[in-house]
Amino acid sequence: MSQENIIESLTGKTSKKKKSRIPAKLDFLQSATGLILAIFMIFHMLFVSTILISKDFMYSVTKAFELSFIFEGGSTVPVFISILIIFIIFIFHAFLAMRKFPISYKEVLRLKTHSDLMNHGDTKLWIIQVVTGFLLFFLGSVHLYIMLTNPGNIGPFASSDRVYSDTMWPLYILLLIAVEFHGAIGLYRLSVKWGWFEGSDPKKSRKRLKKAKWILSGVMLVLGAATLVAYMKIGAEHQSNYGERYTIQTEVQNAY
Amino acid sequence: MSREITITALKYNPSDCNSKPTFVDYKLQEEPGMTLYIALTKIKATVDHDLSSDFVCRAGICGACGMIINGKPKLACKTLTSDFKDGKIELLPLPTFPLIKDLSVDTGSWMKNMSIRVNSWIVTNEKTDISKLEKRIEPEVADEVFELDRCIECGLCVAGCSTAIMRKDFVGAVGLNRVARFSIDPHDERTDEDFYELIGDDEGIFGCMSLLACEDYCPKNLPLQSKIAYMRRKMIKV
Amino acid sequence: MHIRYTDALIIGGGLAGLRSAIATSERGLDTIVLSLVPVKRSHSSAAQGGMQASLGNSIMGEGDNEDIHFSDTVKGSDWGCDQEVARMFVQTAPKAIRELAAWGVPWNRVVKGERAVVINAKHTTITEKEEAHGLINARDFGGTKKWRTCYTADATGHTMLYAVTNEAMKRGVVIEDKKEAISLIMKDGQCFGAIVRDLKKGGLSAYVAKGTMIATGGYGRIYKQSTNATICKGTGHAIALEAGAYLGNMEAIQFHPTPMVPSGILLTEGCRGDGGVLRDKDGYRFMPDYEPEKKDLASRDVVSRRMLEHIKKGKGVKSSYGDHLWLDISILGREHIEKNLRDVQDISMTFNGIDPADKDENGWMPVLPMQHYSMGGIRTTPKGQSVNIKGLFSCGEAACWDMHGFNRLGGNSVSETVVAGMIVGNYFADFCEETGIAIDTKMVQDELGKQDEYILGILACDGNEKIFDIKDKMRNIMQDKVGIFRNGKDLEEAVEELKILLQKTKNITVANKCRLLNPELEEAYKVPMMLKVALCVAKGARDRTESRGAHFREDYLKRDDENWLNRTISYWKNKDDLEPALKYEELDIMKMEIPPAFRGYGRKGFILENPLSQKRQEEVDKIIENHKSDRGSLQEKLMPYELQAEYKIKNQRLGDEDE
Ligand SMILES: Cc1cc2nc3c(=O)[nH]c(=O)nc-3n(C[C@H](O)[C@H](O)[C@H](O)COP(=O)(O)OP(=O)(O)OC[C@H]3O[C@@H](n4cnc5c(N)ncnc54)[C@H](O)[C@@H]3O)c2cc1C
Ligand code: HEM
Ligand code: HEM
Ligand code: SF4
Ligand code: F3S
Ligand code: FES
Repeated sequence: MSQENIIESLTGKTSKKKKSRIPAKLDFLQSATGLILAIFMIFHMLFVSTILISKDFMYSVTKAFELSFIFEGGSTVPVFISILIIFIIFIFHAFLAMRKFPISYKEVLRLKTHSDLMNHGDTKLWIIQVVTGFLLFFLGSVHLYIMLTNPGNIGPFASSDRVYSDTMWPLYILLLIAVEFHGAIGLYRLSVKWGWFEGSDPKKSRKRLKKAKWILSGVMLVLGAATLVAYMKIGAEHQSNYGERYTIQTEVQNAY
Repeated sequence: MSREITITALKYNPSDCNSKPTFVDYKLQEEPGMTLYIALTKIKATVDHDLSSDFVCRAGICGACGMIINGKPKLACKTLTSDFKDGKIELLPLPTFPLIKDLSVDTGSWMKNMSIRVNSWIVTNEKTDISKLEKRIEPEVADEVFELDRCIECGLCVAGCSTAIMRKDFVGAVGLNRVARFSIDPHDERTDEDFYELIGDDEGIFGCMSLLACEDYCPKNLPLQSKIAYMRRKMIKV
Repeated sequence: MHIRYTDALIIGGGLAGLRSAIATSERGLDTIVLSLVPVKRSHSSAAQGGMQASLGNSIMGEGDNEDIHFSDTVKGSDWGCDQEVARMFVQTAPKAIRELAAWGVPWNRVVKGERAVVINAKHTTITEKEEAHGLINARDFGGTKKWRTCYTADATGHTMLYAVTNEAMKRGVVIEDKKEAISLIMKDGQCFGAIVRDLKKGGLSAYVAKGTMIATGGYGRIYKQSTNATICKGTGHAIALEAGAYLGNMEAIQFHPTPMVPSGILLTEGCRGDGGVLRDKDGYRFMPDYEPEKKDLASRDVVSRRMLEHIKKGKGVKSSYGDHLWLDISILGREHIEKNLRDVQDISMTFNGIDPADKDENGWMPVLPMQHYSMGGIRTTPKGQSVNIKGLFSCGEAACWDMHGFNRLGGNSVSETVVAGMIVGNYFADFCEETGIAIDTKMVQDELGKQDEYILGILACDGNEKIFDIKDKMRNIMQDKVGIFRNGKDLEEAVEELKILLQKTKNITVANKCRLLNPELEEAYKVPMMLKVALCVAKGARDRTESRGAHFREDYLKRDDENWLNRTISYWKNKDDLEPALKYEELDIMKMEIPPAFRGYGRKGFILENPLSQKRQEEVDKIIENHKSDRGSLQEKLMPYELQAEYKIKNQRLGDEDE
């Protein structure tokens, strides 16, 4: 065991008699991972919702992720790697954020009565974040694991089959709700936490940020729900051909 | 015109082994301009001589009279009974601080610990000759320091903060604001590294989860949100 | 039973007590400060308007110095003050404020160039000097020749108290709050500490010390309407009284012109200092009619009386709380109010729903004079030691070392607290260094036992009086009969009624028999203390058949320098007496630097002159005329005074060489 660790854990100081810089790094990383995930989720939503435009479009975007413009027919390796990276960030974020969870009965009771009594907006938002974060732990992991083990099975039919025939939709509904609340609140929190967009009147900017947060959640939820419905519809129509893979139907293919 | 109002207070004397925590209702006639200070003083003088609460300045200046009033942390002396449309007011002692009796809590020890913990004083090696002209300070800087120096240690920011409720050792917005105050004071020679030693941990700046109840309930309207963010940005760079 | 030993025991954690604690701890003395409330909540925190110190940085303070500050203070006091003490004070005040600046008080600073101000209800522009930029600024206040009151918006006491408390903590002063001194430990006429009640737990303990200081602030709460905090009950005075100490000038009570109606919360003198004016029911600005020279900014005693005079003429504004007048600061403009009078605005909006920045009468705030400050207190020497009890010191509002006489100037009080903390604190430290604890544990325990029995006695008492009623009656008597306008008949009645009340306190019942945390029990031992203080005030006022400063007798309108140029000393002869004994301490005109004359405001021609005044004036004039060398040696000839060398040293000002 490193002596440095022993010193710090017993005295609270490093051997240079300084406070450890780790807490600063953890706080930064928590925010950074949160930010990456939140931005990723916006793009992820745009990506999966391409199904609303057309199957072809979604297909070609998928292929693009498989780097079909480099590898003939596309490769699942880049997809696998990106899922792995996101999974790692996801786990790391969860690991960091867990530090903030209320852990004992006493803490939960105090937090709950306090928040019920006070009815304070931002505190409630945080509780939503904790609860949704906790849910994401499971829901997100399942989704990511499935993606990780089936990097090739993404596409208009493959995805629809999964949503509909493999009964993933209940999970997705929950995941969608959880992640959109969690992410939007997270972005709002990041702004107030680090003083972004403060402007000359922080009180006013905060009101604006909060509004932006609600709008973001709203838009994403609507978009997500519509997308899910689209997958369900395709999945239902395609149920008899479960397992069949999509092939391009128009000339878009030639673009790549 | 006056109406009857009901004030419900939590009564409990932890130092008396026979005392059990109970809610007690008091009914009284409202008067124009009645504050909770006036109402409680009346209750104490007439119906219940035994009710304890802390009022000092009764003008919103000293920070002694923080309570949870219908759920919100507020200064009782600055709260008008007429603000409550249904005439029902529930009073609880501030959480987080040790309870002395009924509505009276020990904010003093908490604040003293906080002050000592963040070294809430000017640190400098400069010796001042007090018979000579004072050091010049840019007027805006002086105003800026004053703005943060207005904190009255009422503890409402602590009582409203769920982090502080869960984590007993959290310095609270009051402590973080204090550090920000000294960090911009030109008389203070401490560097960001020095301040990191005081608040660079999960009981300090990194423990704050940006719940902003502090900002919302601070009776002095201190810019806590931006000052905490300011300190966080500084501390992350150390 | 619990006994603690320390070198210096300081009862009271306001500005005065804490600054003294810094003085003793700098010398390495073990120091304990006791306070009823967390010290940062002490009443000093409520001081709004500012602190006087003759820095002369602002253009409107140009040319200011100790001499002018001295003269303002002496006139303000209506010649009741100890001029040597006033000299000590004015000489140290600039040092005090510079020390505070270094401790972090964010004093408002001078901005070079043009600045819009309101003077005499007119908008004017003044130009601050380039060289003054960044130095401590000042505002105008009542009774002063120059703009001399330094400030941090209207939270001056707050920032000062926080800085001083922080410094005390930095030096490791032991501060114990929620501790109440209920009696002094005495042996052979010397004080060795106090018996203290723990207000968090209710138990008693003894604090034994080489020296004891009382810095417990004022006693305004003996009045029904007061700007003072709820803790300003004068218990510090009462325990000194009970130990046999002399109190000085207890009848000298200041009434502030502009507390708000009905809450009694103060609206700072800074309102008028910055240019606000008083108006009557017709919106008419009446003060210039009465006081053509200083107008709204004559000294407080004068303005308060003029206001009541005006109300008596039927010019008051009728309200359900009686007649009042208006304070108008709307002319200062919203920007100024929101920056420099922010607390005033906040108070007015919260308690009366009035935004004082609103135009014209919408923004006028209802005001009426109320009790505000206690000039009187524990009579001490200029070094701060009780004149008749060894080892007992006092400073701040609690003391009467006597720099305020019969009226104190706004801004001179917080200034006094820190200055006295420096000067008296050092003398106190000297004393503690030289003294040993010559009292044995047994005696301490006896005293502790006695107090214990006293408390048990109150709980055992089974009478038919109610302590809350007694308190109410006392406060009403003081309000109605010992107020701004006083007369022999009312005062006589007041004394008699207060005596009856004091008698009645021995015949009460406390419902809850718990001896620990019991608010009713607290009242039961405090009210008799308050009554004793009230009796000193009422009796002193009854016997003083003249009008001086804040003490105004309708039946004796003149200031009587022939018979009453003296200080009232009140003391409790026997424990069971129902009233204090009085005696008088003469003021020696022939030693005064400024002999009695007209103050320059207030009623003209209402002085019964003492022939010595003229004689002394001639003497003084001659000394000044014949004097050739420097200011310091002139002072030695006019009126020498003792002061620690480090404080006596010349104060540098802008423009002085070796800057
Ligand atoms: C509303 C208001 C505004 C004012 N504004 C100004 C101003 O602008 N400028 C100015 O110069 N002056 C002003 N004054 C006056 C000035 O604030 C006070 O005179 C001064 O602060 C008194 O300070 P102090 O240290 O003597 O006492 P305080 O600050 O009153 O402190 C008294 C201390 O004694 C403690 N204490 C009391 N009794 C006991 C006991 N029995 N046992 C233990 N502890 C005890 C208390 O807890 C407290 O800590 C103002 C006063 C008021 C009421
Ligand atoms: C296992 C899954 C997750 C858990 C347990 C989790 C938990 C948490 C918690 C408790 C917080 C609050 C931290 C604090 O207040 O300091 C938080 C913040 C945040 N989360 Fe998550 N989260 C998870 C997944 C995600 C995902 C998928 C996203 C992306 C949308 C995300 C984005 C954010 C953001 C942006 C923040 C704000 C960061 C900060 O305050 O520093 N989180 N998370
Ligand atoms: C790189 C990693 C990821 C990939 C490749 C990916 C891919 C996909 C795909 C292809 C779908 C369509 C449905 C399906 O095929 O099953 C989908 C849906 C979904 N994903 Fe992901 N995902 C990733 C990470 C995440 C993460 C981290 C979250 C949140 C924690 C998440 C939340 C969702 C949700 C909520 C849906 C349902 C979409 C909707 O309702 O519109 N995904 N994802
Ligand atoms: S920061 Fe505000 S809420 Fe917190 S103690 Fe100070 S004044 Fe009270
Ligand atoms: S409420 Fe608490 S968590 Fe931070 S932002 Fe305020 S201190
Ligand atoms: S009593 Fe001082 S703030 Fe309420």
